[in-house]
Amino acid sequence: MISFSQVSKRYPGGHEALSDVNLQIDKGELIFLTGHSGAGKSTFLKLIAAIERPSHGVVSVSGQNVGRLSRRAVPYLRRNIGLVFQDHKLLFDRNAIENVVLPLDIAGVLRRESMKRARAVLDKVGLLAREKADPVSLSGGEQQRLCIARALVARPALLLADEPTGNLDAGYAADIMAMFRDFHQVGTTLVIATHDDRALAALGGRILHFDHGRVTEAQP
Amino acid sequence: MNSWLRHQKHALTAALRRLAGQPVSTLLTALAMGVALSLPAGLYLMLGNLSRLAGDLPAQPEISVYLADDASAAQKAALAERLKQADVERARFIARDEALAALSAAQGLDDVAADLPDNPLPDAWVVRPRDASRGALIHLHDELARQPGVAETQLDSAWAERLQSLLALGRTGVWLLAALFAVALAAISGNAIRAQVLARRDEILVSRLIGATDRYVRRPFLYLGAVQGLLGGLAAAAVLAIAGAALRGPIEHLATLYGSAWRLHPPAAPEILALFAFTTLFGWLGAWISVGRTLRRVEAGG
Ligand SMILES: Nc1ncnc2c1ncn2[C@@H]1O[C@H](COP(=O)(O)OP(=O)(O)O)[C@@H](O)[C@H]1O
Ligand SMILES: [Mg+2]
Repeated sequence: MISFSQVSKRYPGGHEALSDVNLQIDKGELIFLTGHSGAGKSTFLKLIAAIERPSHGVVSVSGQNVGRLSRRAVPYLRRNIGLVFQDHKLLFDRNAIENVVLPLDIAGVLRRESMKRARAVLDKVGLLAREKADPVSLSGGEQQRLCIARALVARPALLLADEPTGNLDAGYAADIMAMFRDFHQVGTTLVIATHDDRALAALGGRILHFDHGRVTEAQP
Repeated sequence: MNSWLRHQKHALTAALRRLAGQPVSTLLTALAMGVALSLPAGLYLMLGNLSRLAGDLPAQPEISVYLADDASAAQKAALAERLKQADVERARFIARDEALAALSAAQGLDDVAADLPDNPLPDAWVVRPRDASRGALIHLHDELARQPGVAETQLDSAWAERLQSLLALGRTGVWLLAALFAVALAAISGNAIRAQVLARRDEILVSRLIGATDRYVRRPFLYLGAVQGLLGGLAAAAVLAIAGAALRGPIEHLATLYGSAWRLHPPAAPEILALFAFTTLFGWLGAWISVGRTLRRVEAGG
């Protein structure tokens, strides 16, 4: 589903964030990205979602060379990818469920249908009772679950999560990880950057270890 | 309803919600547009009213031919003979006594007339040429002026013509002014939209990350500019209506003093609609220019 072939990424004026990365991720896999801060995990995820473009090499997703997508084509790639951010990136000018329907609004889904789907996914992340709540009034763990609900509402085949539990205490973090395991079990491809080593052993999955822009496979 | 229409409706309601969410700045922007636009629009209306006034004046030009006091009988007869030619549609002789009588009757100047030791008025012909074109008019005028025994001639259409060319100049001025204020309108709209875009940078960046197209992001702002422009047009109409109501009384009183039944004419419905279409279009245009530039800035992280 995802392949990196001789991929390097150098930010303007910076050193190499990724160096000569070659790997393959199959449909339905659960992948963890580990490594020190600044090792290149976020860059790896950004290349997949065409938020950044590789300096060298080819990143392809579902057979598309995403590094060469035109500006007009990028939105359609992103509609098939759910993104979960460490800082949630929720919109605070609207309530919880309005945050969740945003991807469906963007895709032009009928309002009635999108509200139905938003409720279903809020139920899945355990926030149905808070659908009218202001995002600011939610706890950190709830905000992260809301972000996950927004990432999942369009039923993407691929979910990318960048340190989704980075700001959470252990209890909330375990909840979130358990939720990811459930999605993995229904066939979603998941790529999760984390330095939360507690979770890894429990969840299984493949681990890619990042070190100064170089990637090595590690078996748990 | 297909998804294109759904997107339009979504964008329009988003735009209306944004406008309603900031009533004060919406109102101030509309007022700024309205005041700016009321200048060319008011001038346009004034010119329309003046042309109407000019249109009421006799369209047929006339040439007044005043005879010299010492014109001989032969000269007078020759002139009368000349005025029977085909290029003169009608010629009316006004004897000096008749002219004085008419003057004192018409203007209530009998006291003045009675006080005059002599009649100062000359004999005159009022000549209506058959061909009212400017060239023919001047030709005939010049020929009559050269006739022996003629003291003075006057082309009575001259001032009406001058008024017409002034009005034409005014109309050109109005369009130039309108073009200038269209730019101002687009600039006001663009500025308001820029502030809106910057205020919504989070929403824009998040929307882009989860698959919003350029058009999806841009659309509500374009509607915003168009609606803001329309509100500006409404404000301009309101300013003009207030100015018209304030001026109507004094202007019509003035007209009455001059013996005219002339009345201030309000703009016609198509003209008002054209104003709204114009302001909507330029509001949209300003938004279109501004959104593109501002979005690029927002996305570059500036
Ligand atoms: N936008 C950017 N501009 C310049 N350098 C960047 C940018 N983003 C990341 N980097 C650099 O690239 C390297 C990898 O960063 P990142 O992918 O964020 O690592 P991680 O997510 O593993 O902490 C770091 O050295 C970081 O400073
Ligand atoms: Mg990172």
